[in-house]
Amino acid sequence: MRRLLAISLKELRQLRRDRLTLAMMISMPVSELLLLGYAINTDIRHIETVVLDRDRSAASRRLIVQMRATGYYDVVGAVENYHDIARALRSGRATVGVVVPAAFASDLERRRPTRVQLIVDGSDPQIVGTAIDTATGLAAARSAELAAPGVTRSRTRPAPAPLSFEPIIMYNPDQRTAVYIVPGLIGVLLTMTMVMLTAMALTRERERGTLEALIVSPASRLEIVVGKIAPYIAIGYLQMTLILLAGWWFFDVPTAGSLPLLYTVAALFIAAHLALGLLFSTVAQTQQQAMQMSFFFLLPNILITGFVFPFESMPLPVQHLAQALPLTHFLRVARRILLKGAHLEDMNYEVAWLAGIVAVFIASAAFRFKKKLL
Amino acid sequence: MFPADELVVDARHLSRRFGSFVAVRDVSLQVRRGEIFGVLGPNGAGKSTALRMLCGVLDPTGGQAIVVGHDVARQPERVKAKIGYMTQSFSLYADLTVAENIRFYASLYGLEGATRRRRIDVVMHQSELAPRAGQLAAELSGGWKQRLALACATIHAPPLLFLDEPTAGVDPLSRREFWERIHELAAAGTTIVVTTHYMDEAERCHRLAFIFRGEVFDSGRPGDIVERAGLAIAEFEVDDVEQATALLQSLPGVEECAHYGHVLRLAVHGGPDVLAGARDHLARAGLAVRDARQARATVEDAFVAMVRRERRA
Repeated sequence: MRRLLAISLKELRQLRRDRLTLAMMISMPVSELLLLGYAINTDIRHIETVVLDRDRSAASRRLIVQMRATGYYDVVGAVENYHDIARALRSGRATVGVVVPAAFASDLERRRPTRVQLIVDGSDPQIVGTAIDTATGLAAARSAELAAPGVTRSRTRPAPAPLSFEPIIMYNPDQRTAVYIVPGLIGVLLTMTMVMLTAMALTRERERGTLEALIVSPASRLEIVVGKIAPYIAIGYLQMTLILLAGWWFFDVPTAGSLPLLYTVAALFIAAHLALGLLFSTVAQTQQQAMQMSFFFLLPNILITGFVFPFESMPLPVQHLAQALPLTHFLRVARRILLKGAHLEDMNYEVAWLAGIVAVFIASAAFRFKKKLL
Repeated sequence: MFPADELVVDARHLSRRFGSFVAVRDVSLQVRRGEIFGVLGPNGAGKSTALRMLCGVLDPTGGQAIVVGHDVARQPERVKAKIGYMTQSFSLYADLTVAENIRFYASLYGLEGATRRRRIDVVMHQSELAPRAGQLAAELSGGWKQRLALACATIHAPPLLFLDEPTAGVDPLSRREFWERIHELAAAGTTIVVTTHYMDEAERCHRLAFIFRGEVFDSGRPGDIVERAGLAIAEFEVDDVEQATALLQSLPGVEECAHYGHVLRLAVHGGPDVLAGARDHLARAGLAVRDARQARATVEDAFVAMVRRERRA
C-alpha cells in the first residue's frame, strides 16, 4: 500500500510539472462540454432563403412574411429567375429558394389549387427535413384558413388543398447521408493527419537530437522545414484521393465539379494545417505532447465546423469561433465542388478565409520557429 | 588548405548573453590546424554555448570569431559547410540503416557524383562499418553508434571537427579506439575541438581550455596547466581511511583528500615538505601509513582544485 501510494504520488508530481498536459486535462472537459452542448442542437432555424416572386402581389408578399414569421426561413434576398436561385444555392448564399407562381393571388382568389415551389439544397439532409416540414405545416394552416369561411367540404372526397408547397431537392435528391459526410471526411482526416504528422515529425527530431545536426549542417531553416513537411503534403493528397475513390466506389458520391479546383483549394487547407503542426512542434517538448495538442485541436473541428452537426443550428458566437478553423471553410468548398459543381467564384468568401488563415498560421509558425528551433 | 600554423579557430572576446544571464563572457581561443583542442568545464559552464557560437548556430552578442577563415556571425553558412559536428546524442536516425544514415549526411553536405561515392567508401572503410551497412542504426551497440556518428560527421572531410562529449556512455575499449581514430584524423590535418568530462581524455588533447562560469580560466598544454596548478600529490595506504581524511583535511595547504579503496590520494599546495608534514601528522595521531608514494598530478587534480578554489572565492 505504501509502495502503491508512493508510485501514485510520483505520478501526480510528474503530472504537475507537465504543464501542457495538465492545462489540457483541465480545460478539456469544460471546453468540450460547451462545444458539444452548443453543437448538438438539431433544431435548425434561420435557413437562408431567396425568393423568386413572379406574382408580386399582396398575397405573395404576405406568404413570404408568414414564412419569415415561422423563424425557420431567413429571407436573404429576392431574385429574378431560376438561374439566380441555382447560383445562390450553389454558392451557399441560400439553402432554400421559394418560387411563387405568377397567378398566385388570382388562383387563391378563385380557390384554384396553387403550388409554390420550394427548391432545397439537399446536400445536408438534416436541413432538408426542417425546410420541407415547416413549409408543409405553413401550407396546411393557410389552406385551412382559406377554406374555412363559407365553403362546405365534400364528405366523400376532400377538396385539394388550395395552397401547397412543391419541394424540389437539388444536389442530393436521395437524401443520402454518405453523400454529405464523405466530402467532409476528406477535411476531417486531413486536419487530423496533417497537424499530427508535422508536429510529431519535428518534435521527434528534437527529442532524438537529430535536429541539432540538421541545424549545424549547411541546410537552411527553410530547407529543413520545407524538406520535412513536403512528404506530408503528398500524403495528404494521397489520403484525399483515397477517400474520393472509396466514396465514389462504395457510396456513389458524385463529383459534380472540377477536381483540379478541389485539389487546388486543398493546397491552402493542407498548408494551414502544416503550419499549425509546425507551430505545435515549437510548443510541444515531446512527441506525446504534440499528439495531445493535435487531438485537442481535432475535437472542435469535428463538433463545430458543420461536419456532423449543421452549422446553421449553432449559436452565432460559436459560428464566429468556427470561422477561425480552416475546416469550416474547406467543408463548404468540398461539398460545393463535389455535390453542386460549384466554381471558384461561388466560393470567394471561403477561399479568402482559408488564405487569411494560412497567412496567419505561417507567420506565427515562422515567428515561433526563429526563436525555438534550438 | 591551411598553412600548418594557421589558426583554424580564432575567437576573440566572444560573449553571449541571454537576457541578463551571461552564458559566455569574454572568451578568447586560438586553435591551430591539426590540433586536438579540449574544452573542459563543469556542466552549465558555457561550453555548449561557446561551441554553438563557433559553429555559426548561435550569434555572439559580443566579440568575434573567425572559424575556418570566415566570421561566424557574418558568414555562418560558409562556416557550416566546412565543419563537422558530432554530439553526445550521436544525431543518428535510428530507423534508417547504417548506409542510409551515411548517404543522408552526404547529401546534406552537398556531396555529389564521384566525390560522394569515394567519401562514402572512405568513411565506411575507416569506421569498419561496411559489413553492417544494411543494419538499422537502432540495432548497433554504443560503440558502433559512435563510429557511425563520426563517419557521418566527417563524411564531407571537414577541416574542422567539433565533438561535443563524444564518448559519453561508451565503453572504455570503444573510447580508446575512438581516440585513436581522432588522433589519426588530426595527424591527417583535421583540426578537432572536443568537449569532455573524462579527464583521461583531456590528457590526450594537445591543448586545453578550462571554462568555468562562462569564462576561460586557463588554457594551454595539459602539462603546463597541471604545472601551473602547483599541486603535489601523494598516495598513502592506510587502514582507517575515514579517520585519516578527517585528520588531514584541516591541515594547511591540503587541497584535496580523495579515497581510492584503501588508498588516500592527497593533493597539496607547497610541494614535498607539506607531504612529509602530512605523513608525520598521521603518525603522531597513531595512524599507520603502510605505504606512501609520490604521484604525478593530473589534469583532473588541476581541474578540481581550480573549480574548488573558485567556488570558495
